[in-house]
Amino acid sequence: MKRPLAAVGDINMNKKLKQQEEEMSREAEAVLLHDNLLFEVLKHVDDGRTLASAACVSRQWKRTAQDERLWELICTKHYNSTPLQLRVVVLALGGFRRLYSSHLWPLLRQSSSSSSSSSPSSVSAWPCLPPAPAERPRSKARWGRDEVNLSLSLLSIKYFEKMSFNRGK
Amino acid sequence: MERERDRGKAETAAGGTAAGKMKSWEEWQPQADGGMDELFAVLGYKVKSSDMAAVANKLDQLEMAMVTTMEDGISHLSTDTIHYNPSDLSGWVESLLTELSSASNFDVLPQQIGVRGESSSNLISFSNDKPIQKNRKVIYDYDLRAIPGGAICSSGNEEENPNHEPDIGIKRHRFSPGTEFLDNTSLAAARPVVLVDSQETGVRLVHTLMACAEAVQRDNMKLADALVKHVGILAVSQVGPMRKVATYFAEALARRIYKIYPHDSLESSYSDVLQMHFYESCPYLKFAHFTANQAILEAFAGANRVHVIDFSLKQGMQWPALMQALALRPGGPPEFRLTGIEPPQPDNTDALLLQQVGWKLAQLAETVGVEFKFRGFVSKSLVDLDASVMDIKPDNVEAVAVNSVFEFHRLLARPGGINKVLNSIKAMNPKIVTIVEQEANHNGIVFLDRFNESLHYYSTMFDSLESSGSNQPNSEDFVMTEVYLGRQICNVVACEGPDRVERHETLSQWRGRMNSAGFDPVPLGSNAFKQASMLLALFAGGDGYRVEENDGSLMLGWHTRPLIATSAWQLKPAE
Repeated sequence: MKRPLAAVGDINMNKKLKQQEEEMSREAEAVLLHDNLLFEVLKHVDDGRTLASAACVSRQWKRTAQDERLWELICTKHYNSTPLQLRVVVLALGGFRRLYSSHLWPLLRQSSSSSSSSSPSSVSAWPCLPPAPAERPRSKARWGRDEVNLSLSLLSIKYFEKMSFNRGK
Repeated sequence: MERERDRGKAETAAGGTAAGKMKSWEEWQPQADGGMDELFAVLGYKVKSSDMAAVANKLDQLEMAMVTTMEDGISHLSTDTIHYNPSDLSGWVESLLTELSSASNFDVLPQQIGVRGESSSNLISFSNDKPIQKNRKVIYDYDLRAIPGGAICSSGNEEENPNHEPDIGIKRHRFSPGTEFLDNTSLAAARPVVLVDSQETGVRLVHTLMACAEAVQRDNMKLADALVKHVGILAVSQVGPMRKVATYFAEALARRIYKIYPHDSLESSYSDVLQMHFYESCPYLKFAHFTANQAILEAFAGANRVHVIDFSLKQGMQWPALMQALALRPGGPPEFRLTGIEPPQPDNTDALLLQQVGWKLAQLAETVGVEFKFRGFVSKSLVDLDASVMDIKPDNVEAVAVNSVFEFHRLLARPGGINKVLNSIKAMNPKIVTIVEQEANHNGIVFLDRFNESLHYYSTMFDSLESSGSNQPNSEDFVMTEVYLGRQICNVVACEGPDRVERHETLSQWRGRMNSAGFDPVPLGSNAFKQASMLLALFAGGDGYRVEENDGSLMLGWHTRPLIATSAWQLKPAE
């Protein structure tokens, strides 16, 4: 009968798929557990939040995801031509990762949450469901060079404030 | 200590209280603080939880009595009764009740009963009173402590407290951190709390303040005196910004009435520190710096050597951002020279402080790769400086910018001051002059007008502070910012002549001055506007702040009221 044959065919297909999956996962492991290859993959992340989440996966991922070059890519993605001194200046003032986390991210979070909060939360038609996660700040806010410039100013001010006050003050 | 004694009492006291409503208090009151009701303790009252029902009863009685006795029961309470130990709520209400029930002796004034041995430290221990019989705290009828704010009373009691400084800002430093909040409010609660509708008292408060100012204007000091005490009482019943504003204005009015002016040395001390707190707690100063820097940056485009003359260096907080922007500008950074001017400090640390600021800025300049030179001047007034000491280089060699944040209005205190300084500035041949000033007219000839203007201005200011600080209301920044603003209020209201330096004027007034002095306005670009708007998003309560563009200048305000204005100027082209 047709059925058993098809079933057998299915089973074969499943086995093959499984094998392929295993192979793929082994390959993926090889890539994702290898520092340099992981770095190359993370280079394509264009969103600070994703990169920050990646740093939470494991110690190895943390090491790689906290690389300044990755964060530089994120901070400067809106520059068509980065100023020459940007890297020197930013690294001296604390680095791109700090620039993003301490200054750029709060800016983006504020602007995205204020735009989402302006629309009043609609009453859910299904009261038993948990409230929609619309309150969570999205990092998909549109941002550009102006935000980066402001963050740079704030970074420099913070650096200045933290400079030692211990000269007899 | 009394607290320990009471703890013992509370533990042995019978738990049950009669009134049903009191039961709910008891249920969730933690007994950790020696049996004192915690909520009342926060207000500075000490009420044993076991006593709550009795106190509630007494309060009820008091309300009945006040309603049924004379219509204006309040002033009667303030002038005629002896208030025993107000922080002990139960005892105090008892004393009020006895006074009201013996409703005949209104004209017995317990004047001239001084407060013996009240040293400044006792103000801290106000809430740790001994029981009524042993130590009756009597409020001296004309005791200036009537105005919540121990500043005035202590200067009156100077023979008893030689060490006490008549400045409430400094006193707050003295309080130990843990008790700070409690003791300030217990001072305020030293006056009887009026049990009337709070909103109505708010309106009455404003009216009383204005009436008092009018009395001062008409030189009717007796009336003003009575009114200012009334304000003190009403202020206590308010909460939040209204209360603080009223308190500061009442204190300033009292100073004016009794001619107890703050010492000049104390005015300038800590002013840097206070302004730092102001910088941290609200966006006005940051807005000022960012917009001024943007104008300067644009004016310096293309120059290889730049010189900034800062009339208000303070901690130099404006310049890191400019240095960073110069470091990153296309074409590389110019050579940057900064000349900073600071007024002398009473303890002669001014030169050292200037040096420190210069050193820090130099470090930062090295970090970001900008060639930097710093020069500091200590000068009592900008009038004493002139262009020759600034070592001005010719126009084609070095571009000059002059920056003044909240400094120009001080020059209006002496005639001819502002014109002399503007002439000096012209001699410096600047490419751009950036001016940041408060947007208000606190320099009118008529005292009453100044008073009303400043009342509105500072009320708005305190309102904006309140919402910015909603998540951390007692942080040091906010408390110090209030002191900072309080000093300004004091100066506007209480001082006259050359001492009154907070002579704020509006942007249109400054425009007139600059125009007639030979300056043309430079419009602040859209970049400045964008930066300012983004900056506001970072502050809690960012919704209330508004950036406005006004004919090329930018103003930051709270809701509809602009509070601070940045403008940029250049020399009129020579004909």
